[in-house]
Amino acid sequence: MIQKISRIISNYEVIMPLFAGAVTVLFIIAILSLPLPYHEDQLYTKTINRSSTLNPYDRGGLPFTDVVIKAQYPENSPTAGYVTTYLTPLSWFIANSTLHAGTTIVAHPGGILDEILYNTRGLDTVVEPTILFIAFAIASYLFRKG
Amino acid sequence: MWQQYSLGLLLVLVAGVIAFFALVLEKDDLHRLLLIDLVEIASLGIIALLGTDLAEALILPGLVVGIAELLALSQIYVMKEGIKDCVVKGLDIEVIQADAPLIISILLIIYGIILSGFTGGGIAGLGAVFYIMSRGHREKFELLEIAAGISWAVWILAFFIFMSFPEYWLTALFMAAVGILLKVAAKMALVGTMWGDNPL
Amino acid sequence: MNIAGEPFLVLEFADELVYLTPYTTTLLLFALAFTIFAIISRPERQVDIVFGGDAFYAKKTSLSEMRFRRFMAIACGLASMGAVVTGDIFNFTLFISLVGICNVGIVAAVKIRHVQEAAFQYGIVALSATVPLFGAAALTAATTGTLSMIELGKATTAAVSPVIKALLVLGVMGEGMAPFYAAKAEMFRAPGAPYVIMCSLSSLLIFLRVIEVVLVI
Repeated sequence: MIQKISRIISNYEVIMPLFAGAVTVLFIIAILSLPLPYHEDQLYTKTINRSSTLNPYDRGGLPFTDVVIKAQYPENSPTAGYVTTYLTPLSWFIANSTLHAGTTIVAHPGGILDEILYNTRGLDTVVEPTILFIAFAIASYLFRKG
Repeated sequence: MWQQYSLGLLLVLVAGVIAFFALVLEKDDLHRLLLIDLVEIASLGIIALLGTDLAEALILPGLVVGIAELLALSQIYVMKEGIKDCVVKGLDIEVIQADAPLIISILLIIYGIILSGFTGGGIAGLGAVFYIMSRGHREKFELLEIAAGISWAVWILAFFIFMSFPEYWLTALFMAAVGILLKVAAKMALVGTMWGDNPL
Repeated sequence: MNIAGEPFLVLEFADELVYLTPYTTTLLLFALAFTIFAIISRPERQVDIVFGGDAFYAKKTSLSEMRFRRFMAIACGLASMGAVVTGDIFNFTLFISLVGICNVGIVAAVKIRHVQEAAFQYGIVALSATVPLFGAAALTAATTGTLSMIELGKATTAAVSPVIKALLVLGVMGEGMAPFYAAKAEMFRAPGAPYVIMCSLSSLLIFLRVIEVVLVI
């Protein structure tokens, strides 16, 4: 029996349908187990302030002032508030002179970076470019030596 | 109990079931690759339903991982199918033969540097890709790879400054911005060069 | 508190904690030992003997191929170390994806058609496995309001639904192919012994770790 199963699995043509089938079944189970409760007390809550010039990305505060961020361990990232409010001079200019700066990604508060991603959740961003790096290494190796 | 969250989840999961079921049935390798690109969207949907700033912080790595793996797999596909004859010379359009690509590329790169960060890297890289595509490829591959490696190191260093010396956050912010600018730009340019017909 | 024992060392990277328990320390030491092994050992030379005759083929591994595969094996070792010690669900899933892509990289460099075919099939499974992985992480955050494993381990935090745990485990199985090693048999036939061992070792380690994660959260 086990021999039979392992012979089927060892054919690499079938592992993709097998895996996709397993995910399909699990997703159907997930649909049947809905509704899932949404936890109301979330971290990094988002507020939409339609009158703000930075609208969807307004996280409050002026550049070089501190704002409160609801992080998991706020004591571990004391300057997260400063990073959040930083704007590049260009985005600061756009935000002051037009109403729609927030609709372009230029005007991200932090101007150059998404602060949650690059400060409080920094370890994610170390792994993420590493994956990119490895994938590019594979592709460029195969391209050059292939 | 059926709030907006569960309703949204229902929609995304149904989309996921459809996409994965298609993967079960599909036999052709190229179509599988394309279908997986679709499946990824369902996962981005589940993340986006979180609806906080955290969702935004999770979507970017999720997206990047998908794109990166797709790139590597496409190259493996090209290798295993032995596809070689993809002759892409410079684009044969009159405007492009003149100085226009140079000017447009320089403008794009300058604008990218002003934006800085991830978006800026994308735009600056686009400038480089545009130049390489319209001029054929004479660029040095190794140089781009070295630039990508160094910017990766700058990036990691910035991370450690953030974690160990929070008072120097501005330095770390700028280092991270420059690091990611170079990294994204170099990689976009690398993709542009890979269009060529003969490896350098 | 849990089966893995109390964390005795906690490193703080802002919101993401890295912690060591007796259980994860064991896994970490294994990964470390095999990474060092991959760094110092020389690759095997595979020889095919033609049955019933004196002829044999020695498969040559070029220097650049060896270097590339060694790089991938070391990256894979580091990635499994990261996956073993991290204390954040989303960060964990990212490390798992890194292990998956490194596994593909170790074998994809071999210029033998059936090996590349296997690497591709395995690669698309690894790529589609990111969907249940990231989905499980996002669902955990939505239903409990946190991603930190230490917070999730506390009794005060809302319980994680079994479906979400199942998604996480399935995702890890897709990335590492554990425990279906039979499916990786084609990959193991690739020449270059110390490096292919890294494939199976890393998937074993991440599978052991995800079991701990599922029991803790």
